[in-house]
Amino acid sequence: MATTTATVNITSQDLTPGMPLNINASSTLMQTGTTTGLELMDMGTGKLTEASADDQLFKSLGTADSANYVYICNNSTNTDHYMTVTINATLIGNLGSGEWLFMPWNCSDGSAEIEIQAEPSGTIDYEYAIFKSAWTLPAAGS
Amino acid sequence: MATLTPTLTLSSSDATTDLLNFSITDSLSIKAPLQGLSTVIADNTGANTIVVPTTGGTVTYFFCRHTGTTNGTTTTTALVDVEETGDAAFARLSPGEWMFLPFCHHAGDVGVQFQVTTSASVQMEYAYWTKA
Repeated sequence: MATTTATVNITSQDLTPGMPLNINASSTLMQTGTTTGLELMDMGTGKLTEASADDQLFKSLGTADSANYVYICNNSTNTDHYMTVTINATLIGNLGSGEWLFMPWNCSDGSAEIEIQAEPSGTIDYEYAIFKSAWTLPAAGS
Repeated sequence: MATLTPTLTLSSSDATTDLLNFSITDSLSIKAPLQGLSTVIADNTGANTIVVPTTGGTVTYFFCRHTGTTNGTTTTTALVDVEETGDAAFARLSPGEWMFLPFCHHAGDVGVQFQVTTSASVQMEYAYWTKA
């Protein structure tokens, strides 16, 4: 299994005079409760429009407490454009131009899908990555 | 008003035959209310550990990390749910895991809280800054 490392570094030189902020955190992405790496990585880009109803980025896998990770970035250069992010029917994020998020995604029930929407109008370029514990192919069509 | 610079790096030498080496950074204007890097002991009642007060619909850049300990020294494997203060969980952190996002629930005036999924205690790290 793959070993994938996620690191965040958060800095500020002017938040507190004479005391720069420097936060570092790093973790190796493992399947829940194990030292086994994740199995699948899905990365891509897309265009999101406010009017579209097709805003489900990923369906829930319906797997209890599985470790999955999601990265989403609003690549729009228009500062009026932002994306809302909803997980498990809970609105949690508001990505402005150039902003990103990275977080574990626990898709433990049928409603834990990830939805993204463009606001307030126009088209937003975005990119995403999903790191999954496991993946089962859908049944073949008849 | 100050500037916050978050950088995300994702790397792997064996995920695919093409090396994964990805980095993205941003420059964010921030203002108060804010909270520098802090620790808190979370338990199994979310209302006991509200780490971001109700935001009034503003965007709050939020970072948190599961320390993997109950108190800074004793290790634990207990999982921690990250919830909005209406008790809806949107992430579950294992020991060592972290998250960073521009939190915003502009349809409601809510904050962020931690809730351990068992009766154990877990020490969490967190910080937040309000978007200017």
